[in-house]
Amino acid sequence: MQFFFEVLIGGLLAGVMYSLVALGFVLIYKASGVFNFAQGAMVFFAALTFVSLVEDGFSFWVAFLITFAAMVVIAIATERVVLRPLVNQPPITLFMATIGLTFVLEGLSQLFWGSQPHGLELGITDMPFEWLAENTGMFISQFDLFAALVAGLLVAGLALFFQKTRIGRALRAVADDHQAALAVGIPLQQIWVIVWTVAGFVALVSGLLWGARNGVQFALTFTALKALPVLILGGFESVAGAIVGGLIIGASEKLAEIYIPQFLNAPLSEAWGVSVNLAGLEIWFPYALALAFLLIRPEGLFGEKHIDRV
Amino acid sequence: MLYRDAGQFKDTYSADQQIFPIRQDRIGVTLVLLFAFLVVPVIGDQYWLSAILIPFLVFALAALGLNILTGYAGQLSLGTAAFMAVGAFAAYNFVLRVPAMPILVSFALSGVMAALVGIVFGLPSLRIKGFYLAVATLAAQFFVVWALTKFGWFSNFSSSGVISAQKVVILDYVFDTPVRKYLLVLAIVTVMALAAKNMVRSSVGRAWMAVRDMDVAAGVIGIRLMHTKLLAFAVSSFYCGVAGALYTYCYIGTVEPEAFNIELSFRVLFMIIIGGVGSILGSFLGAAFITLLPIFLNTYAEPLAQVLGLQLPPGIVSNLELIIFGGLIIFFLIVEPLGLARMWQIAKEKMRLWPFPH
Amino acid sequence: METFEVDFSDLTFSAAAEVDAFYDEIDRQLAASGRRWYFLVIYTGCVITPVAWERFAERGKSANINHGLGTVRVGATAQTRDAIRQDAGRSFFRANIHDTRDQAILALGELRKKQRDSLPAAEDTFLRVDDVSLRFGGVKAITGVSFEIKRGEISSIIGPNGAGKSSMLNVINGVYHPQEGTITFLGNKRHDMDTHEAAAQGIARTFQNIALFKGMTVLDNLMTGRNLKMNCNFLQQALYWGPAKREELEHRRKIEEVIDFLEIEHIRKTPVGRLPYGLQKRVELGRALAAEPTLLLLDEPMAGMNVEEKQDMCRFILDVNDQFGTTILLIEHDMGVVMDISSYVVVLDYGMKIGEGTPDDVRSDPVVIRAYLGATH
Repeated sequence: MQFFFEVLIGGLLAGVMYSLVALGFVLIYKASGVFNFAQGAMVFFAALTFVSLVEDGFSFWVAFLITFAAMVVIAIATERVVLRPLVNQPPITLFMATIGLTFVLEGLSQLFWGSQPHGLELGITDMPFEWLAENTGMFISQFDLFAALVAGLLVAGLALFFQKTRIGRALRAVADDHQAALAVGIPLQQIWVIVWTVAGFVALVSGLLWGARNGVQFALTFTALKALPVLILGGFESVAGAIVGGLIIGASEKLAEIYIPQFLNAPLSEAWGVSVNLAGLEIWFPYALALAFLLIRPEGLFGEKHIDRV
Repeated sequence: MLYRDAGQFKDTYSADQQIFPIRQDRIGVTLVLLFAFLVVPVIGDQYWLSAILIPFLVFALAALGLNILTGYAGQLSLGTAAFMAVGAFAAYNFVLRVPAMPILVSFALSGVMAALVGIVFGLPSLRIKGFYLAVATLAAQFFVVWALTKFGWFSNFSSSGVISAQKVVILDYVFDTPVRKYLLVLAIVTVMALAAKNMVRSSVGRAWMAVRDMDVAAGVIGIRLMHTKLLAFAVSSFYCGVAGALYTYCYIGTVEPEAFNIELSFRVLFMIIIGGVGSILGSFLGAAFITLLPIFLNTYAEPLAQVLGLQLPPGIVSNLELIIFGGLIIFFLIVEPLGLARMWQIAKEKMRLWPFPH
Repeated sequence: METFEVDFSDLTFSAAAEVDAFYDEIDRQLAASGRRWYFLVIYTGCVITPVAWERFAERGKSANINHGLGTVRVGATAQTRDAIRQDAGRSFFRANIHDTRDQAILALGELRKKQRDSLPAAEDTFLRVDDVSLRFGGVKAITGVSFEIKRGEISSIIGPNGAGKSSMLNVINGVYHPQEGTITFLGNKRHDMDTHEAAAQGIARTFQNIALFKGMTVLDNLMTGRNLKMNCNFLQQALYWGPAKREELEHRRKIEEVIDFLEIEHIRKTPVGRLPYGLQKRVELGRALAAEPTLLLLDEPMAGMNVEEKQDMCRFILDVNDQFGTTILLIEHDMGVVMDISSYVVVLDYGMKIGEGTPDDVRSDPVVIRAYLGATH
């Protein structure tokens, strides 16, 4: 039973990490209606830049600031080169443009910093929390808890930002209709730079946490793909949805990884007469879950229902 | 002034609806086909045939398949490689377990298997659209690769799921040289391209485009959405499946499920974005572009750097490739969203008027 | 009971003038009612002299009586029967003569039933909506609307914006499913329509915001209108040789008639997305016509057009109704157009029907004027 809780909590905390990446997506989608496939590449770029700077001798905070500045530059460049020429194009075009952006960022990252994997130290170790281990016998990582805390703070801050500020309102207008927002005098370009910068900040934080956990390597770009099932469950436009979705995906992924092979390997092997090993199904399980969810509720838990007017 | 349709009047609807209405086009295409079938086998060297032309044709076929689904029917798919994998492994198993079956029939049946898998993963398209559908196809992508690796039966219990293609023998004629493989692939691709062109200019193609452009209106005029979407998935996956089989049997030879990964799916997607979505010609142009670009870079990056006096660190070419690909996608989406095919069309229109400016 | 009883019992007719007096009164009553009746004529004890008989026969063939649905007679004496038979020489006279009133009423029932079963199309309901209500969550788009459209006529729905006119069309052709009410089309009553069935039964429509397929040419768009009539499967079409090609060309020929009718030959091969608004509207009409519809629903076909374009569109609509006999139901804001071309108008406001009738009726209805047309003070 204890093991179950351990797996569950481990999954929830992993889910928090997914939520972080999903958050970056939600920000950009909420504010500009663009599904930014390049978020994963941004995470990779941020992590790689930071790590390389630290290895070159810069201190933590200096490296952090320089990397953040780099993300701002990327935001400005993206707005100028990619978004501005494509204003008011159908969403699918913008989506494909972000795929192109992904490749550019990946290539640039490795061009500047090389392609070896790096380790990242944040000072918090991936060791079990002693107090919990002693009192409940459960092994839960300090690092995971720390990540959850950071994510929570970030989410709270962002939620406030969107709901309470004037800029937040402007962002929501832009997400709805670019041309209408322009017509009302909302400075589209500035808004986009702001949004992508904030998303860049989220990517930086995600990059640090993920990088510390799994090492900074090319596979980090695929975290973007991991966030997709989260977004589907939570809805593309909801910050709360990103959190809840992340938790659900993280938990179910871990649970499926451990328990499905445990329960199904033997019966299936017997039934089919060959040795069956269902290990590794966490690669596709989140997607299948998201898919099943989509069929029941296409707009996600917190998403807005889409009504077509004919 | 050479490329004019002056004087070419069509007096039957049949003539008006032919694939190449302008005589110069017909002559041009005939010449290209004659060149491809008769001249290339004679002058082509091994490298050109095996490393450039055959993969170009195989990927053109996969691009055709994806274009039918995403370009014509408007259903975004990121699972192209998965359907190719199904085709490859199905062909392998047919040839292995039913040796009496002619290999062309095996290829066709492997396409049918891929089509069935395509229909299953296309079912969600009845409820979901756009990016969400892309996720369903991603599920297909990851699941298929996992299943082919996990269940040893598919690869005849070889380690890590590797399969080696058997020899291609048709009517006692062995296709083992690059020239023979090239001609086989060329023949299959030509026939399937013609079939695709016929489909997209008939009512099934119009139904696909209607669903893409405005599915509510399509439903109102009586088009059956479910039937149309699933047919698009089926036909598209058939094409990708056959492409996968050809990829294994006439190009790579030894293949494992991991080779049909998401990067391959993206590659084919780029082919149709750059070549032109919703265009048969575009599939070919895009495939040519994406096949030739890395070779171009590989060959010319070093000499160019030397000329410019730059020192190229190792691994730069693959990164450059990434940057250039990405940049080109963005460029095309801004400048010409309909890709190379549209640019070709515009060029032809300008040629019609030449030497006049308009 | 739609029976008009004519009681000749125990009367004696010996002169033409007496017959005239009686029939004048009958004619007057029939004309005042404006309806069509079954006639129950009672001859019990009635005496008609040969002189009066000629006049009788003449007046019996008068317009009002012939407009009737059928006649049943009671108790004609042998002499009257002979006279009737002789004069008419038609057998159904004999069949419709009964001895008692009750028998006659029974026979009337039979007659009515027989006629209803074999009624010509004019008696079938072409299109009727009964008590239809449509809600979107908390928003009531349509509340309890009923009306009927006759075959072969041009009818209009008018009303302020947001009155539920487009929603009504959407209900008729199956895009929306009403929560309450029924739709009867070609005699079939149902709770809601299925879009595919609607299209298959011959309902075609145009939309307020043009719903053309922007990525295709005009020709292709029109061809999609004929989709339901094309039967070759995709394999035959992949081959394109033989049946698929023949089918394609046959339908192309049909499309060209529509292109000819709408005068859009010059833009056949142009992608629809590049056409100006007015031409797009015409192409959309063409796509609807290509399906050879029985009922054509037009949603603001003249929105955004200048005077000339409106005149053209009017001409097309009238021609469609004239040449092809298509029944048309249109939504339109231009009152001049509506009054000119419609024979029947339904007025909606806030999802409810506030008036209906001929254009003149509606134009002078105070409720409609207050809600929509406006009054000069």
